[in-house]
Amino acid sequence: MKSYLKLVNFEWNRVTRLFAVLLGITFVAQMIGVIVQANKYVKMADQSINVDLMPKAQFLQDFGQIDFVRVVRSVWFMGPIMLCIAGVAFYIFFIWYRDWFGKNTFIYRLLMLPTSRLNIFLAKLTTILLMTFGFVAFQLMILPLENVVFKSMVPAEFRLDFGTREVIRRVPELGLIIPSSIVEFFLYYGAGLMAVSIIFAGILFERSFKWKGIILGAGYATVAVFAFISPLLLQDFVLNGFLYPIELLLLEILAGLIVLGVSIWTSKYLLKQKITV
Amino acid sequence: MIEVRAVEKKYGRKQILKGISFSANKGEITCLIGINGVGKTTILNAIMGLTPINKGEILIDGQRLKEKMFDNITFIPDAITMLPGMTIGQAMEFMADFYSSWNQERATELLEFFRLNDTNRISSLSKGNAAKVNLLLGLALDVDYVLMDEPFSGIDMFSREEIAKVFTSHLIENRGVIITTHEVGDIEHLIDKVVLMDDGMVTKEFNAEDAREQEGKSVIDVMREVYQR
Repeated sequence: MKSYLKLVNFEWNRVTRLFAVLLGITFVAQMIGVIVQANKYVKMADQSINVDLMPKAQFLQDFGQIDFVRVVRSVWFMGPIMLCIAGVAFYIFFIWYRDWFGKNTFIYRLLMLPTSRLNIFLAKLTTILLMTFGFVAFQLMILPLENVVFKSMVPAEFRLDFGTREVIRRVPELGLIIPSSIVEFFLYYGAGLMAVSIIFAGILFERSFKWKGIILGAGYATVAVFAFISPLLLQDFVLNGFLYPIELLLLEILAGLIVLGVSIWTSKYLLKQKITV
Repeated sequence: MIEVRAVEKKYGRKQILKGISFSANKGEITCLIGINGVGKTTILNAIMGLTPINKGEILIDGQRLKEKMFDNITFIPDAITMLPGMTIGQAMEFMADFYSSWNQERATELLEFFRLNDTNRISSLSKGNAAKVNLLLGLALDVDYVLMDEPFSGIDMFSREEIAKVFTSHLIENRGVIITTHEVGDIEHLIDKVVLMDDGMVTKEFNAEDAREQEGKSVIDVMREVYQR
């Protein structure tokens, strides 16, 4: 346990620079987005009401009030979120390959640590989770702040106010990364954890068997995904909707846990018996 | 004792090790000698569980390698195994953090012996100094067995002399050492046992002292006999 925690700390320290850069980009881009979107609307209102002499009521009827949801849907806002998702996706692969490539082969050191090699796998998996939760937590922290900036820029009569929870509810993309209930949280992030464990197992197949490993890894990923969605396939093609939704959900959770368990076990076996530097 | 028994290893269709067997005792320096590509590094990797073998078995003090044994056996590869962004001091901290057999006193002694600065970044080290850091990180562990892969390869004369001095010091005493090299000249007088390899097989295994005393031959003389037949 102590070695696992030390490894998590070590892996986390290795990713902090990338993590901080992505947080910085997110904060700056979203703030610029808030300012740009709010300014655009206020300028348009100013032009229409003060220059074109359109009555305020007419303007509000034609163009409507602006709300924070409109800002969140802009590319300034969703762009950095997509960038962070891409960053995590990239790091899922890089967290392993960085130890093999280059003239300094750190994988030698990792594999020669006097601790279970599974701890290396679990530490890398935990780092990906921490990174993901870190981004989500940061987004949750800056959303109210951005809302305050937005409110300070647009006069009250021109805007429709929503709280953070309502904003998340109205933007489905945001609802995916910030689930609204604890059940959704475990379902979404559990599925994500399973997906990462499948990719890790695939990477370890490739690192163990090289070219053959790519085929083995891809084959493993295909079987794992098929096993995960098998309750859905059975329900649609064999059982013709026989199961209640709650039964289907429970079967899906079970399938997910089995795939996660098998992926961890496979990775442990590969790291212990088949891996090659 | 490290026992390598009938070990076979294939990379794809190419068979690198063809049933290699030898043993290395604690308190002795065993030297694996052979030209590049005969499988010297592969054997060391296999002993450390860094590459799987196809057949045979490797025992360390009568047991197969387990993770906990890495506190009792260490491997010094020919490339540095620490992150380039780390300083020497940080690399030492990493080792102290993870290995219960880390001996800080010995590490400090080695740092002074090699005249290294612990604030230097690993990425900025010359090849000779990187090799010295690699040795420091391996030898500062209180382990029974030390495996070294080509410690003199591509290193300047003065660094080689400094590294060779380590072999006559208390840093190596009482440990079982397996060293691979194709430049045997630097440590010929220090070797206890020689394992000559060719084409994935052991062609001759002999005691260097016996060869000197009984046959009046140096290690290089025996190598000439074996390789230039």
